[in-house]
Amino acid sequence: MTLLRRASVRHLWVHRWQTGLAILGVGLGVAVVLAVDLAVSSARVGFTLSAETVAGRSTHRAEAGPAGLDDGAYRRLRSVAGVTAAAPVVEGEVVARGPGGPAVLRVLGVDPFAEAPFRRYSGDRDDRRHASVLIGDRTTLLTSSTAAVLALDGGDWLGVEVAGRRDSVRVAGLLDPADEASRLGLENLLVMDVGTAQAVLGRRGLDRVDLILESDAAVADAAAALGPGGTIVVAGAAAGALQDMTRAFDLNLRALSMLALIFGVFLIYNSVTFSVVQRRRLLGTLRALGASRRQVFGLVLGEAAILGLVGAALGLILGLALGSGLLRLVTRTIEDLYFVVTVRELVISPATLAAAAALGIVGTLAAAAPPAFEAAMTEPRAALLRSELEAGLRRRLPLLSLAGLTLAAVGMLVLVVATGVETSFVGLFGVILGAALLTPQVTVLLMRLLRPAAGAVLGVLGRMAASGVAASMSRTGPAIATLTVAVAVTIGIGIMIGSFRRSLVDWLDITLSADVYISAVRPAGALTSTLDLRAVAVLGDDPAVAEVRRYREVTVPTPAGPVDLMGISIDSRLRDHFTFLDGDVAELWEPFVEGSVLLVSEPFAHHRRTQVGDTLTLQTERGPESLPIAGVFRDYGSDRGLVMISYSGYRERWDDPTVTTMALILEPGADRDEVINRLQAATAGIQPLNIRSNHRLAEVSLSVFDQTFAITQVLRFLALIVAFVGVLSALMALQFERVRELGVLRANGLTPGQVWTMVASQTGIMGLAAGMMALPLGLGLGVLMIEFVNRRSFGWSIDMSAPPDLILQAMALALTAALLAGLYPAWRMARTSPAEALRGE
Amino acid sequence: MIELAGLTKAYVDAGGERVVFRDLDLWAADGEIVVLLGPSGSGKTTLLNLVSGIDLPTAGAVRVGGVALTALNERERTLFRRDQIGFVFQFFNLIPTLTVEENLLLPLELSGRDTAAARRRALSLLAEVGLVDRAGEYPDRLSGGEQQRVAVVRALSHDPAVVLADEPTGNLDRDTGRSILALLERLARGAGKTLLIVTHSEEAVSMADRVLVLRDGKLSTP
Repeated sequence: MTLLRRASVRHLWVHRWQTGLAILGVGLGVAVVLAVDLAVSSARVGFTLSAETVAGRSTHRAEAGPAGLDDGAYRRLRSVAGVTAAAPVVEGEVVARGPGGPAVLRVLGVDPFAEAPFRRYSGDRDDRRHASVLIGDRTTLLTSSTAAVLALDGGDWLGVEVAGRRDSVRVAGLLDPADEASRLGLENLLVMDVGTAQAVLGRRGLDRVDLILESDAAVADAAAALGPGGTIVVAGAAAGALQDMTRAFDLNLRALSMLALIFGVFLIYNSVTFSVVQRRRLLGTLRALGASRRQVFGLVLGEAAILGLVGAALGLILGLALGSGLLRLVTRTIEDLYFVVTVRELVISPATLAAAAALGIVGTLAAAAPPAFEAAMTEPRAALLRSELEAGLRRRLPLLSLAGLTLAAVGMLVLVVATGVETSFVGLFGVILGAALLTPQVTVLLMRLLRPAAGAVLGVLGRMAASGVAASMSRTGPAIATLTVAVAVTIGIGIMIGSFRRSLVDWLDITLSADVYISAVRPAGALTSTLDLRAVAVLGDDPAVAEVRRYREVTVPTPAGPVDLMGISIDSRLRDHFTFLDGDVAELWEPFVEGSVLLVSEPFAHHRRTQVGDTLTLQTERGPESLPIAGVFRDYGSDRGLVMISYSGYRERWDDPTVTTMALILEPGADRDEVINRLQAATAGIQPLNIRSNHRLAEVSLSVFDQTFAITQVLRFLALIVAFVGVLSALMALQFERVRELGVLRANGLTPGQVWTMVASQTGIMGLAAGMMALPLGLGLGVLMIEFVNRRSFGWSIDMSAPPDLILQAMALALTAALLAGLYPAWRMARTSPAEALRGE
Repeated sequence: MIELAGLTKAYVDAGGERVVFRDLDLWAADGEIVVLLGPSGSGKTTLLNLVSGIDLPTAGAVRVGGVALTALNERERTLFRRDQIGFVFQFFNLIPTLTVEENLLLPLELSGRDTAAARRRALSLLAEVGLVDRAGEYPDRLSGGEQQRVAVVRALSHDPAVVLADEPTGNLDRDTGRSILALLERLARGAGKTLLIVTHSEEAVSMADRVLVLRDGKLSTP
């Protein structure tokens, strides 16, 4: 090791508290990014593997709407020339009850002898053996690990339940997947013969037929053989569409995690800048002794590389621990909002770890480059005065502010012009960074305003504290900027979530117009379930029920991919409970009730770029049918978007009598709770149902909302912690640097208590300044997040609402963070003896 | 040999142009000890900076050992300084995170002359100033006089042609200052180095071959 490098490493060790905090900052930043990446990609890997396992090696799939394909479709497809292979599939979900307890499992019903070209379950020989055992009535195969969860063995009977109907199947054998990917894909899956699956799920027909098609001509022939009710789609499209659903969700999490890393990088910038400023004389001496600029640059950057490396290593360890916790939150949110995720453990790839570590190291080096460059430019005149340095910085402030304004303006422009979610985040980050660059100039102005007030309250100590902040801008600037941005982001996210919640509450108030809502008890993690028709009849017969609304929610193929379609029985009372964003409200209801037009939700219109007057082609049982869109309504029920058709219009096009949800309007004066109790008793023997009042349903919806944003709150908190570490590091650096100055003051009669007052009031003033700047910035960020980021991510328009206590919260947060960060330096300074302080370093 | 010819140095700041000295000439032979006196702010340190190539003149020529520093770029001046100049500062400016021995070896390493022989020479110099037993200690364990003795050895450790000392006794008591000056003279004369000392110290005058006074931008003899 060269002497320069040795000196450098010892410098890091001598200032180990500063080094430690910088490492912690990078470590936390890397940890948050890694944890989010692992959690999101693990959930995605789990989904992709199960989708791929179930889709197999098919090139296309034949499918129809909610009623599925008739059994004859499979026969017809097999006879088409160009269809190399075809395999019928029935899919569904059951609650399985084994000795180990209940679990939600997917059912894959297949023709065992048509499967070989499509899916592999175990080795070749095993698959042939398994095919023969599946032919037996009421038999199933499952993986050893799934069997272990249910405490089952080969030959045992397994109880299964679908929509309240109970049945049982025999475990004919255990699958032993050849590799880890297959194991994950087959996890929580019951493989059955098509007939057994139909019987267990209470279905007729097929969900789809998987196909291997040779040519485009074969695709056309297969479509012709399928008839008007079916359609041929490219395999994998459905999986892609499902993944697209969570893309915006993933991106929002990743952006938030990046923010934590940016704060970490700020911290490094702060720390390296401080170490350069602190060693200006030393660097000057080195230059005078003949060290070249490149050597000095390398020296400082080398120190940063050490911080980055150790920080990244720490980040990987913390990230793995944090990732497991976040995975639970991510999968819970995805399951609440999107689809079932089978993965419960982190899927760790070396590439993910390497990417997170590289991000930390590169971020650190990038943050250290400007101060390293400044160090390299140090003139070899050994003793450059501190005041000259600060004066130089003050001269550069207008330029820095101009750069900040330009960056913020470019960021705004990108936000306004861009249409993608990614570019919106780039614009938002531009605004945040631009605002951070503006903070030093604004701080100088604020200190001029605050100095008299501080003087009035604390006398000369107060004036010194305020002046010290402006006079030490090279140290205080980055700290105040970090705290400002962290508090502003917290306010911005708070406004975004608060406004969203407020809008949701208003929407629920308007939308939940019926008195009682009924849906089937959805097995944990299951996607949908329908009401038993006997229960539907019983519910409508209650004497207290004045009116019944039926809702049927299905996924329907369209040329542009599957859409969620809801058939809804509409009445005059319900009409008033729609908020239309587009469409002629006076004219649209009549054709809607007739079933000749569609209504689409705001997210649907946003994602599919459709508007009133456009047509949507739905694959009905009568064949493809194009219907015009008559209105766009506000809806927070799904970020995928929803297409609405009248219930009668739905029934005309699909022979599907099932109902997903029912809403009851009670006779005036009917006791809601009494009716609910009565309905529960009446349907108890038929099907377990959720029978809830509109108020209760609103509460449930809001709790799902709060659960959804739990991860956002966690990440927001983590980002704030990183920012806090940054402020602590800067304040400690600032105060320890002033040790000689404080020693002189102590020698001149300043009591330890007064040292406390001065240090604490200085950090307090910094916190106050950060709070004052964070408030307008946070409000602005809230608006940008609502108007651009959230809208482009999910397609929802949100009415902004900023609670009046926000000002207090922001101030309290900034002040508390700054004061807490100032506690230790104040304590240390007050305890340091004047003699020791005057000795200096 | 140091040759300064027609040297002018001016700074431009908010108050306009400030001329430190104008058309100044100075010549110092190899092995000569020159003491430069002058009131604070007269430009003595600026003159040293120009001789070492740390700073450039507004006009005029600086030649050290036959090398025209004004014709060199920043990197070339750094390399020149690394090889040919030794520095002694008022505030010692030892590297606090290097031991005494490492501080001595630093100029050798920077100039790429970190050979075993050079190391032996540096350590023998340390022995000569009576600090060889402190070689492994950090500078903050040493008194001011000891630190300055190490700084003097450091200035000579890489065998430069010229040693520049900027107020080497300014931060020391009278006796310690006197001993440092004696050390500087002994080591510089012994090694045949050109020594240019900027000082307020009257003791320095007695050891000088030549004494110059810088006042109002002009060099004169006292």
